[in-house]
Formats: sequence, C-alpha cells, structure tokens
Amino acid sequence: MKKAKKKKIIYIILAIIILEAAVSVGLNYELQIGRVDGKFVVRNVKSKESIKERIDEEFQSDTIVKIAGRFPVNWNVIKVILAVDLLIILFGFFVYKNVKLIPTKIQIIAEDLYTFFRTIVTDTIGEEKVHFTPYIATIFIFIELCNIIGLIPIPGNMEPTRNLNVTLGLGTMAIVLVHFFAIKEKGLFPYLKEFAEPVFLIAPINIISEFGNLISISFRLFGNILGGAIIILVISNLTRYILLPVGLNMFFGIFIGTIQAFVFTMLVLSYTAVAIK
Amino acid sequence: MEITGVEIIRAAALLGAGICMGFGAIGPGIGEGFVGGKACEGIARAPENSGLLTRTMLVGQAVSESTGIYSLVIALLLIFAV
Repeated sequence: MKKAKKKKIIYIILAIIILEAAVSVGLNYELQIGRVDGKFVVRNVKSKESIKERIDEEFQSDTIVKIAGRFPVNWNVIKVILAVDLLIILFGFFVYKNVKLIPTKIQIIAEDLYTFFRTIVTDTIGEEKVHFTPYIATIFIFIELCNIIGLIPIPGNMEPTRNLNVTLGLGTMAIVLVHFFAIKEKGLFPYLKEFAEPVFLIAPINIISEFGNLISISFRLFGNILGGAIIILVISNLTRYILLPVGLNMFFGIFIGTIQAFVFTMLVLSYTAVAIK
Repeated sequence: MEITGVEIIRAAALLGAGICMGFGAIGPGIGEGFVGGKACEGIARAPENSGLLTRTMLVGQAVSESTGIYSLVIALLLIFAV
C-alpha cells in the first residue's frame, strides 16, 4: 500500500517534469498563467529581460555606498556579511549565557561542533597545538553560513561568497596567517631559508607557488558557488520555476555549500600544518 | 548581412569558452572518480577508519578539482571580458 503510494508520487513528479520540458520553448520566454482580457490563459510569453541580463545580475553588480563620506563599500555584499556576523554573535551569546552541566539544545550543537574540530585539529597538527581550534571552527561556521544564507528567498539576498572580493579576502587572511604562524614557530631566518630549500635557484618558483595556493583556495569557493547559482538560474528558467528549483537549491545550497566550506577549512588547516611542522 | 571582425572575435571567444570548459572538465572528472573509488576500497577494507578516509577523500577531490575551477574562470573571462 505504502509502496504503491510512493510509486504514484514518483510518477506524478516525472509527469510534471516531462510536461515542463514539453511546454518550455526557450530560454528567453516565461510562463504566463492567469486571466488576460477576461480569458484564462496558460502560455509562453517573451520575458521582459533576457537570460543574459539575469546572468549578469547573478554576478552581483556593485552598488558603491560611501561610509562616513570616505570609505567606499559594496553594500550588496556587506549587508549579507553583516547579517551573517549578527547570526554568529547571537549564537555565541545564547550559548554563553547559560552554560549548564546538563546541556540545552543549542549548547549541544556548539559542543558538538567544537569537539569535531578539536578532533580534526589534534589529528592534523598535534595535541599541543589545540589552541588553533577556535580559528578553524570560526572559518568553517562563517563560510557555511555565508553559503546557505542564499536559500532565504529575499530579493537581493545572495551568498557573499559569490563575490570574488569576499573569497579573495578570506584566502588572503588565511595565507597571511599561515606565514605569520610559520615565522612565529620557527623564527625569521629558518623560515626564509625554507624558500631556498633544495637549491637557491628554486626560490622564485616557491614564492609563486604560495600565490598559487591563494588563487586556488579562493577561486575554488567562488567558482563553486557562482557556478551553482548560474546552473540554478538557467534550469529554473527552462522549467518555468516549477518544482525542480527546490531540489536544485537543496543540492547546491546545502550540500555543495557545506562540502566547500569544509574543504576550505581543511585546506587552511593543512597549509598551517605544513608550515608550522 | 555582413559579418564584421568584432563579431568574429566574439564568436571565437564563445567557442573558446565552450572548448575550455569541456576539455577542462575531463581531468577533474577522472581524478575525482579515482579518489572516490580508492576511498571506497579503503573503507571496505578498514571500516573503522571511515571518518578519516572521508575527510582525506574530500580534500583530495577538492585539490584535483582545481584545474576544473581554473577552466571555469578562463571560460567566464572569455565570455564576459573579451
């Protein structure tokens, strides 16, 4: 009985998808349902803005606002980042306000996250470097929230990681901190000596490879999130925004977002581990 | 209708973007599949290490994905900057 019901639902979904594919005539059209001139119509009409303009919108065009008349910021991105920051601060505040021996629900989440990252850090860097845990966990929570905040359907609410400036900033912060920790751990001269490791001639290549790390770590996050957004836009446009975009948003928003946040964190951790060992 | 030089350049850029993305996706595809398969073998052999293996697999896949991301960047540059 239950199995038959499930099969029925799957058939209905398949039928809807096939119907969508049949009624969609092109990328630059959209479905019109409703009363026009007293008649009920379901038809494809040419949309007001073409698909190219919509894809251009996905790139988060800059709206420069000057703070205090001097510092230009991109308000489209900054407002979402501030919202994410506010969420993190509120989370920390509510966890810290009542820490109990018998944990509440929110405390269990925080403890689980912290324990997970402490295990990873102690596995990768070592038991005596456990003080790296807050830094690593904060990177993960921030990027994760940035990736999944785009699921909330408010106009203009886009993932901040879709903007290259944000991911380049995060990558630069991580790489600079890696070198800072390396100097702190080894001293300046042994650190500089490592660049000329097998032979002195190879030093420029080593320096360029550090920039390669920065480029690859930030472009990976940016490319995954932006690529997902464009795929969601194009496929939703083809299926006239019926049913399929929900699954696509789940996949690209939650699954890919979490994986990429975790990968960014793990790569920062491995760079740090290589640098300070 | 006469085809001008600008249009030829535009067409070449779009064609280049498609070729770049298509060939650039071959390497990461093979590499990620290889990493995933090996991780499956490892987990089948030692199920108690599955957490560590999954983590290592994800990082390895991310690193082998780099070239695909580079080709995506080149394709975006060709489409929107040329």
